[in-house]
Amino acid sequence: MKATTKIKTQSLMACLALAASVQAAETDQNRIHGGELVLAPTQTNAHVRNFNPYNFSVGAFYAQDFIYEPLWIYNIAHPGHDFPRLAVAFETADDLRSVTYHLRPGVKWSDGQPFSADDVVFTFELAKSHPAFPVGLDIQSDSNPNGLIVSMEKIDDLTFVARLSKPSALAHEHIGVMYPLPRHVWKDVRDPTTFANPEPVATGPFTEVRSFSMSQFKVCRNEKYWDAGKPYIDCLKFPQYSGNDQTMLAARAGKIDWLGDGMSDPEKTYVNGDKHNKYWFPAGANANLHLNTRKAPFSSLPFRQAFSMALNRRFILDVATFGLTTETQFPIGTGELYKEWYDAEALQSYRYLMEYNPKRAKALLDENGFVDRDGDGWRDNPDGSPIEFKLAVPSGWSDWVNTMMTVSENLRDIGVNAHLSTQDESTWFAGTTQGDFDVYIMWTKPSATPHGTYSLMFATDGLAEGRRLEQNMHGMVIPEINQALDRFAQTQDRAEQKKWLTQVHKQVAEKLPVITLFANPDWYQYNDSRFQGWVTQDNPYVRPMLHLGVPERGVHVLNLSLRKDAAAQVARQ
Amino acid sequence: MRFILRRLGFYCAAFVVALTLNFFIPRLMPGDPAATLFVSLRGRMSQQSLDAMRAAYGLDGSLWDQFVAYVVRLLHGDLGVSTVNFPQPASEMLLYAAGWTLFLVGVATLLSFGVGILFGMFAAWRRGSFFDTLFTPVNVMLNAFTPAVVALLLLYGFALQLQWFPLGRAYDIDLEPGLNMAFMGSVLYHSVLPLASLVIIAIGGWHLSMRNTMINLLNEDYITLARAKGLSGRRILFRYAARNAMLPQITSLALTFGFVLGGALITEVVFNYPGLGKFTLAAIEKRDYAFIQGQLLFLTFTVLLANLIADLLNLLLDPRLRDRSELA
Repeated sequence: MKATTKIKTQSLMACLALAASVQAAETDQNRIHGGELVLAPTQTNAHVRNFNPYNFSVGAFYAQDFIYEPLWIYNIAHPGHDFPRLAVAFETADDLRSVTYHLRPGVKWSDGQPFSADDVVFTFELAKSHPAFPVGLDIQSDSNPNGLIVSMEKIDDLTFVARLSKPSALAHEHIGVMYPLPRHVWKDVRDPTTFANPEPVATGPFTEVRSFSMSQFKVCRNEKYWDAGKPYIDCLKFPQYSGNDQTMLAARAGKIDWLGDGMSDPEKTYVNGDKHNKYWFPAGANANLHLNTRKAPFSSLPFRQAFSMALNRRFILDVATFGLTTETQFPIGTGELYKEWYDAEALQSYRYLMEYNPKRAKALLDENGFVDRDGDGWRDNPDGSPIEFKLAVPSGWSDWVNTMMTVSENLRDIGVNAHLSTQDESTWFAGTTQGDFDVYIMWTKPSATPHGTYSLMFATDGLAEGRRLEQNMHGMVIPEINQALDRFAQTQDRAEQKKWLTQVHKQVAEKLPVITLFANPDWYQYNDSRFQGWVTQDNPYVRPMLHLGVPERGVHVLNLSLRKDAAAQVARQ
Repeated sequence: MRFILRRLGFYCAAFVVALTLNFFIPRLMPGDPAATLFVSLRGRMSQQSLDAMRAAYGLDGSLWDQFVAYVVRLLHGDLGVSTVNFPQPASEMLLYAAGWTLFLVGVATLLSFGVGILFGMFAAWRRGSFFDTLFTPVNVMLNAFTPAVVALLLLYGFALQLQWFPLGRAYDIDLEPGLNMAFMGSVLYHSVLPLASLVIIAIGGWHLSMRNTMINLLNEDYITLARAKGLSGRRILFRYAARNAMLPQITSLALTFGFVLGGALITEVVFNYPGLGKFTLAAIEKRDYAFIQGQLLFLTFTVLLANLIADLLNLLLDPRLRDRSELA
């Protein structure tokens, strides 16, 4: 921390971010205060008074971003234009072995106590002493010797430093997303995992829980919120909806201001109901097929290449997924979400794997000995054993079920005997960790940079039976990829990062551990009759989704305010 | 007395068997509550969080350890914590849902019983009349409808199209629950369609069984004697025929009530009614072991209790049974 270490400041980033948020809220002076925003971030049978931001069965859905704030919000839609929250700047040391954070001065908890570095350090210590408390920090410990963060230390009230176990330029991506807890309240909590936190003390824009019942509750404005004048909205109202049908009936009637429900025909099922009903489904993270490469025929690269070429992706996009998914250009497992990271030139030669070409697929199978040997009309393995396998998908996920049905038909067209198998969600998921499957359709996990997504997809420590991650169930170990990812993590230079990422891309395209399908839609619907400031396709200042795991929703909600005509209505009542 | 003790012994044994099955059946399904949540979040939770939740849910020990913990908790009257509504005790969720189910299905059962019995009574009394030829086949036909069809038709017609009734829920959620007129009125208003969907279907069963029993009774000698004595029709109908025909109906009402706490799954789902049926369905989908166990326990208990009551009623009403049991 002394002058001997050259420090690269990232305050410039923070300035840019501030500029971006100002731009998003350009008509600041004209904003009216008031109104209750109705949101449906998740479905539940009954509300439970749990506002523990690290409880993922109930609390996190409401407590994160609205009640509790993170240190830093990454602007995944516009990399480099982040939103500093409880921290205003951070610096990664030149040897990449520590990150220093500067906290926002003047922030108070909703009970009036000042927020300080003590709270951050406390939250870290709490996570360290309760490994089952999912704060999400990758902490080094006896049970997690490869963990990244060794310690957090307070420098002064507004500064703390995180020390790392190995050089990493990306550690801030893990640290910035933490939601600090108030030390003076949580120090008396015996078991943070089961603590329901019914009266939250927090620093977010909405902290006062009002009129709680199992059917509906309200969280109202934090009078001590650090961003003076915000939020514009008085309260967030969360009605309980137990299923898609009920949510859609209410949404169609214009009774929900902000939601994110899957729908196959939004014009008919949503927009038709109310002229203020709007939607935008930007391209989200990819859906890929994971083939069990530990067994034949999936262990054969030519088979996987033929598999990829046999798929009619145009049909899957337009028909099977109702035209709502987005095309992915290259067979690299990720798509539009990270389009700024592509090296299109380097990947051009792999484009053919994404094109529908059953003829070439058949020829490739013929050349490699995948021919019908027992005369039953279906291709067999080169050693003569028959090929017959299942394509598994959770029942009720209609776009994915249609997709898998198309995949099975495409495969049967080239002589490969593949069946669709729909399963109940839990049964489907139980198969992933055991390696007990043939072909699965699977999401990818979005992250601030593609590094996060790929490091999960190629994590080697998660390959043991029973411990397999849902992201690396393909089961392939590609050391070149892990090396490139390590190098990526050791530089802050974006051009250099991109170079290493291209290595990863080429390896994925070359070895096809996963078969790339399409980018899933990110569901986002809103009703603009009462509030203004929504993220739109023309003003996409952040990712617009309402669901858990999109910290940008905290920026989005701060930008919403009552419409003038709606305010007049409220006043008249 | 011996008869009663023997029955009680049987019920206790059945209860212990049910209690054990309740534990193992949900766990025979693949997957667990934490994994289910992970899937519904489609990976937006970290693997570390998934492991943490397994630990918090008490799923990290062996199955035998979990079973012992379950039995010990049960002996303390603790049904465990609902994983879907964490950290609410499963018993609180069960009682909440049971209240609504008891109201909805209970009222529906009583209503359909009362109306069905009256229908059956008059249909039998005036056999072949316009009333009988119209309502008997209609009620029998409605009885054959599936609840899903009736509930969806009512929802579509009266809630979605005509907008006379709300689309779902048990009450207007902007109201503060309490014993006031506005809230009670809202509860009644919201219960109209779900009640109707249950009653319309159930009437036929009571109608038919009452009618059949009545017709048999009306041919008995004592009715002929009563007629010959010149008693009024009303007196014969209510005091002589209907009263006797009611006995088997009451036994079967007792048995039906045993299943009230099973909820009315389809109706509750269609109308988003916060009853046990809907909660149990979600609990099964989400592998909420504590809730499933609790609900099965509830149901076993009430069914056994209803059987016991029916046994005792029979014993009370049928002297022949009493004599036999004394002999045994």
